[in-house]
Amino acid sequence: MRQFGLFFRKEMLEMGRSYKWLWVPLVFLMLGVMQPIVTRFMPEILKSAGNMPKGMTITMEPPSGAEVMAQTLGQYNSVGLLILVLSLMTMISGERQSGVSQMIFSKPVSFVSYTAAKWMSMFSLITVSFVLGYAGAWYYTVQMIGSVDTGAALTAGGFYLLWMWFGGSLTLLASSLLNPAAGIAFVSLGMALMLTMASGWFPRYLAWSPGSLPQIYVNGLLEGQGMTEAAGALIISMLCILACFAAATYRVKLVKSKI
Amino acid sequence: MNTDIPWNLLAPLIFIQLILSVVGLISLYKAESTRGPKWLWVIIILCGSLLGSVAYFVVGRKDVS
Amino acid sequence: MTPLLQVEGLTKRFKERTVVNGISFSVAEGSCAALLGPNGAGKTTTISMLAGLLQPTKGSIQLLHGGRPVQDHRPYIGYLPQMPVFYPWMSGKEFLSYTGELAGLTTREAALKTGEWLEAVGLGNEGKRKIGGYSGGMKQRLGLAQALIHRPKLLILDEPVSALDPAGRKDVLSLLRRIRRETTVLFSTHVLHDAEEICDEILMIKAGEIALQGSLEHIRKEYSEPVIRLEVGGEKASGEWLASVGSKAFVLQAEIAGTRAELTVADVEQASQDLMKDAVAHHVFFRKFESGQSTLEDLFMKVVQA
Repeated sequence: MRQFGLFFRKEMLEMGRSYKWLWVPLVFLMLGVMQPIVTRFMPEILKSAGNMPKGMTITMEPPSGAEVMAQTLGQYNSVGLLILVLSLMTMISGERQSGVSQMIFSKPVSFVSYTAAKWMSMFSLITVSFVLGYAGAWYYTVQMIGSVDTGAALTAGGFYLLWMWFGGSLTLLASSLLNPAAGIAFVSLGMALMLTMASGWFPRYLAWSPGSLPQIYVNGLLEGQGMTEAAGALIISMLCILACFAAATYRVKLVKSKI
Repeated sequence: MNTDIPWNLLAPLIFIQLILSVVGLISLYKAESTRGPKWLWVIIILCGSLLGSVAYFVVGRKDVS
Repeated sequence: MTPLLQVEGLTKRFKERTVVNGISFSVAEGSCAALLGPNGAGKTTTISMLAGLLQPTKGSIQLLHGGRPVQDHRPYIGYLPQMPVFYPWMSGKEFLSYTGELAGLTTREAALKTGEWLEAVGLGNEGKRKIGGYSGGMKQRLGLAQALIHRPKLLILDEPVSALDPAGRKDVLSLLRRIRRETTVLFSTHVLHDAEEICDEILMIKAGEIALQGSLEHIRKEYSEPVIRLEVGGEKASGEWLASVGSKAFVLQAEIAGTRAELTVADVEQASQDLMKDAVAHHVFFRKFESGQSTLEDLFMKVVQA
């Protein structure tokens, strides 16, 4: 437990000194706020583009608050996930690659504490960034577009957060398995994408897979449904996160450094 | 229809953008070495807005770990 | 002398390549042993296995504490890798107390020891600086402090001085000399001179196997052979005579290069008299004639080149 605390403090310090604690939450906030603003000003933007025949008016159904929120989450699913993967990808591989791990692992340290601290700091960064961005998106949506159902928005946010945690876990697992940063990013983003797509293709068989989490939050936001699969997907996703953690711990213990 | 721009809502956005660029530049100034020449990163951070700063933090910084 | 480390048939295979091939040795408590060998002999692999970073393919490594082997070696060893790498964003002080606490010291002990060790390795004024700005020698010394902060019983060092400039080398060696009074030390090197300077035990390895082992004194006595070193003039007669000298009956082994020769002989007195007589007969002009014993260096070269 004490070693977990030491490792965790070190991870936090590293994320602070490499400015991750600043730029990742700020980028998430920007992403969240952008969507309602762009939606709100879309008619004006189109108008000022100006090459429309005179007299033609665009009649655009103004989107509801829930729709804008769903779009925001869509942004997080692409750009947001990419940012997370890029900021987390070297968390385990970097220490193995550079050789610091040789000194750390020759000390009587617990490998579970080591990986657990990586996981906890990953959760912390994701949670803070996402909550900040989501809250910003919510506030701007209410200010500029219209009201959003509180319960639906919270559940959607919760599911989405779990999905991001899962994405982070995939990244850390890849980081424990592979060395090149590009490979880690490619594998973890590819896995996340495949899972989402597979859930779209075979909704019946993969209703409980973590890949269906993004669909669940959209359904929850827009229609207030799809919650029957939710519990299953929730549990399976948590188990998957645990499995990633266990596999990464085993791998770290097996390959302590590159020699 | 002339919508007056809600500056009170847009201002924070500009502010965040500013922080990111400034912190990016400070970290660039303090860094001993970067991937690629420093002057290039200055241009990227200043002109690339959000993406420029993010690109610097992800790719440009060497001493992250 | 009680043994501290006992290694039995240690083997490491990477795919088809056997890097370390069944080596056995023991290190006595309080001694200083050098793992000596040319580059690529398997020194780093052996050291990595001893430090617990690499799983041996076969064989056993036992660390004895109070006469009994211990399960987890790590609390009792301090390890310095060949090229110590740190977190560049940490200061030297932060890194030392971090590793100290990881090794089980309390926060207060770690802070105390950090100050002491920074002072001891001569980084007292650099502790607050970021490691990213340290020189190679400073990193090596910080690495040494990191390996010693939890007072290990056995200090394992991988090529601690090879990458340093002469001044840094001298610093680290004198530091090691001080440390070895309190701690058992095992270090690898490819420079015989470094081993001779601080060690009393030598393990020469070559191609993954032990070529020679024993105390420095014993090896010196056992393996030193009588030698005669010659240098003759540049004229033709002397050159021809020198070329033929290797085939004399009393010369066991001859190394001839240009106008110099080094002859290993059975009996120095007899051999030198015979050589002199023969030389006079052939009108040879001597520049140098020296009889003595072969050095450890010669032995090392012989082992390496054999």
